[in-house]
Amino acid sequence: MAGSGTAHLRDGETVLSVQNLVMEFRSRRNRTVQAVSDVSFDLTPGETLGLVGESGCGKTTIGQATMQLETPTAGTVMFNGRDLTRLSGAPLRRARRGMQMIFQDPVSSLNPRRRVHDLVRENLDIWPSDLHTDGDLLVSEALEAVGIDAAASADRHAHEFSGGQCQRICIARALVNARPAKVAWGRGALSDEPSVLILDEPVSALDVSVQAQILNLLEDLKDGYGLSMVFISHDLAVVKNISDRIMVMYLGKVCEVAPSSELYDMPAHPYTRALLASIPRHGLDLPPAAELIHGEPPSPLDPPSGCRFRTRCPNATERCTNEEPELRAVRGDHFVACHHPHTPVPVNVTGIPT
Amino acid sequence: MPEPSTKLPTGLGVIFWVSASWIVLLVLLALFADVLPIRDPEALGIITREVEPFERPGWNAWFGSDGQGKDLFANVVHGARPALVLGLTVTLLAASIGTVLGVLAGYFRGRVDTIVMAGTDVALAFPAIVLLLAVRASLGNSMWVFIFIFTVLGIAPYTRIVRGATLGLAEREFVKAARAMGASGFRIITREILPNVVLSVLSFAFIGFALVIAAEGSLAFIGLSLDRTTWGQLIDDGRPELVDHAYLTLIPASVMFITILAFNFVGDGVGGAAAIREVSTVRRHRVGPLPDAHNVSGASSGDQRLVLDVRELTTDLVTGRGVVHAVDNVSFQVRAGEALALVGESGCGKTMMIRSILGTFPVAGVDRSGRIDVDGTDMLRADDNTRLRTLGIDIGTIPQNPLTALNPVRRIDAQIMEPMTLHGGLTAAEARARALDLLEQVGIPDPTSRLRSYPHQLSGGMRQRVMIALALANNPRLVLADEPTTALDVTVQDQIMRLLTDLRAGSDMAMVLVTHDLAVVEGFTDRIAVMYAGQIVETGPTARVLADPQHQYTRALIRSIPDLRLDPHSRLATIPGAPPSLLDPPPGCRFAARCPVADSRCRSELPSVTEVGDDHSYTCWHPAETTVEVARGR
Repeated sequence: MAGSGTAHLRDGETVLSVQNLVMEFRSRRNRTVQAVSDVSFDLTPGETLGLVGESGCGKTTIGQATMQLETPTAGTVMFNGRDLTRLSGAPLRRARRGMQMIFQDPVSSLNPRRRVHDLVRENLDIWPSDLHTDGDLLVSEALEAVGIDAAASADRHAHEFSGGQCQRICIARALVNARPAKVAWGRGALSDEPSVLILDEPVSALDVSVQAQILNLLEDLKDGYGLSMVFISHDLAVVKNISDRIMVMYLGKVCEVAPSSELYDMPAHPYTRALLASIPRHGLDLPPAAELIHGEPPSPLDPPSGCRFRTRCPNATERCTNEEPELRAVRGDHFVACHHPHTPVPVNVTGIPT
Repeated sequence: MPEPSTKLPTGLGVIFWVSASWIVLLVLLALFADVLPIRDPEALGIITREVEPFERPGWNAWFGSDGQGKDLFANVVHGARPALVLGLTVTLLAASIGTVLGVLAGYFRGRVDTIVMAGTDVALAFPAIVLLLAVRASLGNSMWVFIFIFTVLGIAPYTRIVRGATLGLAEREFVKAARAMGASGFRIITREILPNVVLSVLSFAFIGFALVIAAEGSLAFIGLSLDRTTWGQLIDDGRPELVDHAYLTLIPASVMFITILAFNFVGDGVGGAAAIREVSTVRRHRVGPLPDAHNVSGASSGDQRLVLDVRELTTDLVTGRGVVHAVDNVSFQVRAGEALALVGESGCGKTMMIRSILGTFPVAGVDRSGRIDVDGTDMLRADDNTRLRTLGIDIGTIPQNPLTALNPVRRIDAQIMEPMTLHGGLTAAEARARALDLLEQVGIPDPTSRLRSYPHQLSGGMRQRVMIALALANNPRLVLADEPTTALDVTVQDQIMRLLTDLRAGSDMAMVLVTHDLAVVEGFTDRIAVMYAGQIVETGPTARVLADPQHQYTRALIRSIPDLRLDPHSRLATIPGAPPSLLDPPPGCRFAARCPVADSRCRSELPSVTEVGDDHSYTCWHPAETTVEVARGR
């Protein structure tokens, strides 16, 4: 899976556009971990992009590199018209205010020694000059918006709450300086308000029953606040419902990009099919997972040549070893990086045939 | 049912408070030494005639007097002043400077870290006595000289402690979250990191304080004393009279010893308070009386042998917040060859159920009653040898996180062979052959070389396969798997569940699979027991319970499984609220507060067990009508 290529990027208005992102880490003995290799994606206003893959696929690194928590080795991150990779220090922090992040472990995302009110107020305290209204009021509103009793919880600590409640508090903290979007998109100049939420496995640490609560909440908030979201997860079952578009990744590369329902109805990449077939009770028309994927994931220190999935792919041929597949359209807004996609390539190909 | 303990520990313990009182007393005496009715320490008894020379300790002079009739008690009290002033000043200075350096080194790392750490290495390697002699020779023996030297030497330990803590904290998600919000480095250090290291610094500060007092005493003993009377000097002065008037040395030495000890105990107490917040210090393990006789002899009920027989089990944990009723009157059986899924949300008592079988608890105070029979052994009442033998041979466990369950510094072969040689009675060669065989069975490619690797060299899926091999090492009759796939990737989860099923096929090994995810139990288990708030609310054959759930909680759990057939952005079914606290569970049905059909009866009266045939039973006043819409499959 190469997934190099930008055929899936769109021309219209985007809030976030990441192009040709490369992330490499130095490992011991001077070896290089290729965590993310030439990955591109964009996000249109109000859209939710699901970023799916298993451990080591680079999805978390992409989230961190987009936020500039890790400095990318190469590539651009355009947000609100500025390339974040060219900024640093205070200008970067200021330019990035419109992007907020939610992490996997909600309990450890909250400083154990601080009280809920202060935790949620943090975003306002960091940028006091932006504050035009009563900060405490905004904190209460944000807490109520995520379903936490503001008055009863203000003076409590994170460990007094369940995992689901902690995740709600984290979401309130991310959105505390957002105002409900009465106006539609195109507010342009209001770049300091959160407009993009990057969620890194936000429900993986939660019970199945609580996951649904948080997913419903995120759906409500997205409409209410006019947010765009990048939803990172290892679990295709969780991502389907919340995403408009889904990007499947494997070992630092993109496999497939498609609208949510289409990805489940017509998965084209062998790895996507294997992921779907592994979901318990998936109810889809797929052979058993064991027939779709075998072996162990290769080391990112020494990724396979050509398509990185070829070592585990039942369809792999000689071509997959020699030639890296480019992302190309299989139909409309559905892109796949595979020499032997499951769905036959229709005639109206818009990508570059290899 | 055992009487729950109502007396809860105070937390810090008696030693802490006695030590703290001693320090407070010392500080008060030192502060008010001039106004209290204490003799002038310099007054000579031979002149004032109030005290005899070498007077023994008594009512007149509590600690006795020296050859000139100087009152030792007055001298000890006044000697506390330089000890406390020196200790406090040095500790404050060294702790502040060390904390700042440590935080900077740990947070910024790179060059800052290199420079700071090089500095501490030099300070620690520097010969302290040489420094002291040199500075003292040129600057004299005033308090300031001592403060300067002790501070320079005292900074390094604080720097190291704080740097280590900061390195760990900087990786925590709340620090990442602060960075993502755009907090500056200064803000992150002051708001996120410092509050979390302050207690460790404080804890060490008390110990550092004691070190300063001890150091001053030692130096005075070799003649390098301050320019005023200190405890060290008093000890030194008394030394020539050690044979005839031992009290002159022993009393100041004891005072100094007790003070140093007190500071150490207080430091430990503060450090402990930083780490432990909720765990009680009650050490107790009580087992209640046997349940009624007619329930106990069920070991051969049914056609197949019972491998696990739990009867009326109740487990109460004594914690700092009160008694947690983790498992409440639970009964279930697992037959040979059967796989039972124990399902429920976090905090419903699933893990405590497993721990009740294993006898391992996160707190020291536990009350259990009822009965747990594993292959005929009463796990609550058997002697330690029998119990450990059953644990080692008859029970295999598969943990949630294989990485933390494996010892990182021991090779796989050592870890797999250990239970076989320890409990299974195999020789090393036999154990190695069996280990190879097991790794092959659990689908590990190239087992010979994998046996020689360390846990971190394997992927998550491979590590879990190793754990399974470990669990199977002694051909257990019962395997307890606590969320064995929760920490794994989706494709690996499927592989591991299939592996567990294949391994059990054809054998009479029984399994209890604990999971919060109802989706994984179908096809992999024979029966389900649904737990809620410490009780089993429904139990029956897996297919039947999934297709026709009776309890409202089971229905809600099934509905919350993500459904791939739903269109994107459709509303997901949820269970509102959260499970009740097990400190004080509600009367009646414990699910009532979250149940859509609960009425007043549900809130007051515990539902009785209803059998619906075929081994299927539930405890609900308003069971579901026969439902079809929740029954779905692949």
